[in-house]
Amino acid sequence: MYEFLGQNQLYIVLFVILIIWIGIVLYLIRLDKKIGRLEKQLGKD
Amino acid sequence: MNSIKWLSIILITFVIIAGIAVPMVPQPQSFFEFPDIPGLGNTARIIFFHVPVAWVSVLGFLVSLYYGLKYLRTKEYDDDIKSVSAAGLGMLFCLLATMTGSLWAKFTWGSFWNWDPRETSILILLLIYGAYFALRSALGSNEVRARLSAVYAILAGLTAPFFIFIMPRIIGGLHPGAKEDASGSTPITQLHMPLNMLFVFFSGLIGFTLLFIWLLNVRIRTLRMEHRLLMKDY
Amino acid sequence: MNSLLCIWAVAVKDVRSELRVRYALNALLMFVVTSIAVLVIALGDSGLNPEIMSALFWIVILFSAMSGLSRIFVSEEERGTTLVLQLVASPSAVYFGKLIFNCGLTLVLSSAVSLLYVIAFPAFIIRSGAVFLCTVFLGSLGFASASTMIAAIIAKAQAKNTLYTVLAFPVIAPLLITVIHTTALSIQGGTWGETVPQFQIMIGYLCVVVGFSSIMFDFVWKD
Repeated sequence: MYEFLGQNQLYIVLFVILIIWIGIVLYLIRLDKKIGRLEKQLGKD
Repeated sequence: MNSIKWLSIILITFVIIAGIAVPMVPQPQSFFEFPDIPGLGNTARIIFFHVPVAWVSVLGFLVSLYYGLKYLRTKEYDDDIKSVSAAGLGMLFCLLATMTGSLWAKFTWGSFWNWDPRETSILILLLIYGAYFALRSALGSNEVRARLSAVYAILAGLTAPFFIFIMPRIIGGLHPGAKEDASGSTPITQLHMPLNMLFVFFSGLIGFTLLFIWLLNVRIRTLRMEHRLLMKDY
Repeated sequence: MNSLLCIWAVAVKDVRSELRVRYALNALLMFVVTSIAVLVIALGDSGLNPEIMSALFWIVILFSAMSGLSRIFVSEEERGTTLVLQLVASPSAVYFGKLIFNCGLTLVLSSAVSLLYVIAFPAFIIRSGAVFLCTVFLGSLGFASASTMIAAIIAKAQAKNTLYTVLAFPVIAPLLITVIHTTALSIQGGTWGETVPQFQIMIGYLCVVVGFSSIMFDFVWKD
């Protein structure tokens, strides 16, 4: 696998960007859920 | 709303993978190969990311203008919240577009910044919106702030398309699509791209737009709650 | 006819109060004289190329204008006369009156700077006088109109001076670039034909700013 990545360095870029992107998405989803919970709390009272 | 969020995640992931992994060859034979432009090579892939981000930035500024106008008509605080959130996202994406463009400039033209007309006009646009936030922070959080920022958002939102679309076209420069560019108008408006590239490109455009809608939604909900807590409305 | 009289009355009122105290006028002229003196000392007799001379010329005008023009609404707030003005005159009258005052002030300022420049720098020979005069005239009006609107917006804010500069610069930047370029051309002897696109931009800028401001001023002014 390392040989392949050594040749096609573009794929390293791909993996790096994918990791960053997935990290951001997971954070967004968590944030969204948190806001939803807070909204429900505020809405109840 | 949920479908928008999932669709944007899927589309952008697709664009990331397709934009980077699909090989570039001089004579594309199949659907899964991009043409190789001599001189640009792999850096041409930036078009899948840099352009949608710039587009979303303009979208943000225009949405901010719309809600600014709406606020002046209705005087609803909610419209001010929407205007500010859109402006903030427009600013964020403008910064991202500038950074990605600057990085690309380094590898293509040799330096990070060239005072090319498009680069200069984007800088002025960033300053205009920076001033917008400076204005907001200098006014207390009340009706006056909402009113004055709405007026400024309208002014700034009117200048944004001018700076992004008109000015770089009337002065010659480095950036693709300037007046003396040998290849003519931008590769997008003339759809010089082959179908498979166009497909990825438009997926990116739509994906980032949906991402913008999601981010805007989250931001607006946060500001609304902040306001309610401030007004002790719970 | 009534609104024209109103506009004139507001402008005259501002001129009168200005002449009484001469605060802005003095500050501006002192700023201009000081900056040009600094330039003369620093540059001496070295003949600079037209672009730099043109840029320096407009920088002096720009910064002097910024120090003086922002006061137009702030002075009302400071003296507590805003409310009276709101009651007595219509928003358009207030806007156009103040605009006329600002334009007059900027024209006086730019004439002073032009005169001093010609005296102070023997190398500052302008080949196309008409183009130069037209540029200075339109540029000054452009500065004044943009400044009037922004001054109105920041009148109620804190940290007015810094905020004014931050807000004004990006809005004025396109005008500044055009005007510097045209002045450089006029120094080198550019003809009317060559500078037509620049003048289009200057006039367009004026129309857009004044048009936009006259519509939006209502919202900024009234509570």
